Amino acid sequence: MPAPEAAGKGTLVQPNILPGFGLTFGFTTFFLSAIVLIPMAALVSMAASSHWHEFVHTVFSERALASYRLSFGASLLAASINMVFGFILAWTLVRYDFPGRKLIDALIDLPFALPTAVSGIALTTVFAQNGWLGHYLALGGIKVAYTWVGVTIALTLIGMPFMVRTVQPALAEVQTDLENAAEMLGASRFYVFRRIILPIVVPAMLTGFALAFARGVGEYGSVIFIAGNLPFKTEITPVLIVIRLEEYDYHGAAALGCVMLSISFLGLWAINHLQSWRRSRLAEGGR
Amino acid sequence: MSITLDQITKRYQGAPVVNDVSLDIGDGEFFVLLGPSGSGKSTLLRAIAGLTGVDHGRISLHGRDVTHVAARQRGVGLVFQNYALFRHMTVADNIEFALRVRRVRAAQRRERRRELLRLVALEGMDDRLPTQLSGGQQQRVAVARALAHKPEVLLLDEPFGALDAKIREELRRTIREVQRELGITTVLVTHDQEEAFALADRIGIMNHGRLLEMGRPEDLYARPATRFVATFLGAANLVLARHTARGICVGGDPVTPPGSASTPAVRDHEVVAVLRPEDIEIAPGRQELESNFLGLGTVEQQLFVGANERLRVRLNNSADAGPIVTSEGGDTGDALLEVTRTQHDRRGYPVSSGQAVALGVRRLHVLATPLSSFTACAASETQVLTLSEEPLLVQLANRMKTRVSTRIEPSLGQPGESSATALAGVAVISAAPEAVAALQWLLRQGAEAVLLLPPQAPSPSRVLIHWLDEAARRATLAVSASLLRHVSAEAVYVGILPQDDETHRPLGMRALLDARSEAQAVHGLEIRTELGFGDVSQELTRRLAEAPNQLLILGVSNIEVLAERFAALLSHTRSPLLVVWQPAEGGAHAGT
Repeated sequence: MPAPEAAGKGTLVQPNILPGFGLTFGFTTFFLSAIVLIPMAALVSMAASSHWHEFVHTVFSERALASYRLSFGASLLAASINMVFGFILAWTLVRYDFPGRKLIDALIDLPFALPTAVSGIALTTVFAQNGWLGHYLALGGIKVAYTWVGVTIALTLIGMPFMVRTVQPALAEVQTDLENAAEMLGASRFYVFRRIILPIVVPAMLTGFALAFARGVGEYGSVIFIAGNLPFKTEITPVLIVIRLEEYDYHGAAALGCVMLSISFLGLWAINHLQSWRRSRLAEGGR
Repeated sequence: MSITLDQITKRYQGAPVVNDVSLDIGDGEFFVLLGPSGSGKSTLLRAIAGLTGVDHGRISLHGRDVTHVAARQRGVGLVFQNYALFRHMTVADNIEFALRVRRVRAAQRRERRRELLRLVALEGMDDRLPTQLSGGQQQRVAVARALAHKPEVLLLDEPFGALDAKIREELRRTIREVQRELGITTVLVTHDQEEAFALADRIGIMNHGRLLEMGRPEDLYARPATRFVATFLGAANLVLARHTARGICVGGDPVTPPGSASTPAVRDHEVVAVLRPEDIEIAPGRQELESNFLGLGTVEQQLFVGANERLRVRLNNSADAGPIVTSEGGDTGDALLEVTRTQHDRRGYPVSSGQAVALGVRRLHVLATPLSSFTACAASETQVLTLSEEPLLVQLANRMKTRVSTRIEPSLGQPGESSATALAGVAVISAAPEAVAALQWLLRQGAEAVLLLPPQAPSPSRVLIHWLDEAARRATLAVSASLLRHVSAEAVYVGILPQDDETHRPLGMRALLDARSEAQAVHGLEIRTELGFGDVSQELTRRLAEAPNQLLILGVSNIEVLAERFAALLSHTRSPLLVVWQPAEGGAHAGT
């Protein structure tokens, strides 16, 4: 008897014309639990099973704090760089037609496909002090490999496709007619960009930023080669967690993992919130 | 003048999309650019707006040359077909956009916005987002937005294209009212003739990138100058008729139209007559007709459309009526005519399919085109058939809505021999070494012009025009104008001087200017002019060899000169040549 059941769930499930909501919702819950929620809960419970004093000691140690700064700082910086350059890349690919456009478009996805360790080794080869580019940068007094700069470059590379691929479709949606209309009304190129193009593309850019940032925080493979992993200097949190694991300090590793989990979650939640706030502001028709 | 266009040409990948368009639009005028899709009308509008650059020509707005001025500084408002509203902004912000760009103070902006919303009847919609409005409302917002900064010119690019019929009409009225109230010069682009008639003070009709004709809607409808305009504006039956000393003859008897009877024919020649469906009368018999008798016919099809009845009547050629041929009818001798009658007429004499009727002509309009029809001529049947299927010939005939008839002339080109019946319109022969004799022969048989066609000649992108002496000028220009309305090609008049020196140069320039102004004044045709030097035949040969896809129109008044001086050019040409013969007045008219 489906009727009383539906009535019973009235608060949770809106009666829907499309059948199969129960099945798909059940599957979603199961899948999300098995893959995401249960492992995370295990992580939290493991961290919680240690003594709180020990937990605080691990989480707030000088070495851990330095690693958070590097991990989150470099990820934010890399995502910001991607926001600018990823936008320009996407703009070029959407707006212009030139020989080799298809090839460049395909190259964008390469960081997705490459094992991250390979990107790490490649970057180190290029940016090490005796590498192709590192050689010249060293002459200018800039050291890339084994510094935070190197970490940022690695994270920028890893996050780039996320930004380009989210901004691209949004940009394609801005019709040239809109720009022409604004131009006819007297707007300068810059004004058109600021008032017409950006407002349409910003939501996609925020999503791209969030994705690139999240990817950066969790990145491990490409960073370990170029960073050098010096404690207090170039050690990212994921590396510290691995070190703890190698020392059989499972509780310590879980505690650090919990910290990453909560900061990442807060960050992503904030970005999502910002977007829905923007949307509602638009819908109300404010200025 | 509010908008002045001077010889605007815009090419796209080498081919002209807008071809030598010159146009003056007066202050406060509502001008409609009408044409089928791909005729270049939208490109022309975008050129006026400044969104597209032009390759040649000048654009002036209110006396100011704006050819190289950016769109934002032209003081022009543009309304797009797809509205192009800023979806992330409210109606108020959309309308105020131009004012905000100009840093107008908020209070003034609000006042102007209120004024505009009243104008387009959208009061109180200020805070809506475009997505919350219907299509018609969105287009009203777009109109208000385009007017916000008080532009001197309003351009509308198919503004009603995406709307359904009812809203279309409503918005049409709004735009007409707004235009009248503001007295703003307006150019609207459309492919819908009904829209053009409803809105325009003047209509300009474009096809293949050329502005074919312009004028008041009623004038264009009553007296079109070209086949295209005749058939594009409303329905028209095109009929091949003969202009004789007795008047215009369709079939056997003259159907002298009132008003145009005053021009007696210089010589008997073929013309194209326009019969509007509503100008054809039907009656049970010849005696019952109130107008001039056209022929007998059979009602083939009966279609009801609202207030008027539409019929298709097949003309039967009877012996006493003589042959009647509609332009599209081919050589079969009978053809379909479209007839419309009012309900009143229908009640007076109801007809049904299959019924025999007599047709009369109340009014007839003769097109001023010398290129009435094509006749492919050759000595054998296979040659004639190949010739009549030449792609360029088929294309021209299709575009001109005329027929290609075939004619086997075994004695083609043989002196002394003459054809059984006189030729009419344009004779077509294939390019061959012996073509010169054939050409002369055909012109003597009465052909208005002869087209010399090399095998598989492509459609020309450039037409060179030259006449050997002033006597041939009028006829050559008339043929050129008629041809150029049907191909998308640039027209260049080539003036040729024996040598380049101080005494000849001013004379040459003068001839060029005369040619251009006559083409403009008499035919509304814009042509370029170029000056060449040396032997005429060599110079023309050289220019034809310069680029492929050229066609030469050559005017002569003395036929003998063709064999003497142009034998090489005519017998070995790889470009199509159109030779026009206009005997000098009072001179020997050999052969007739």
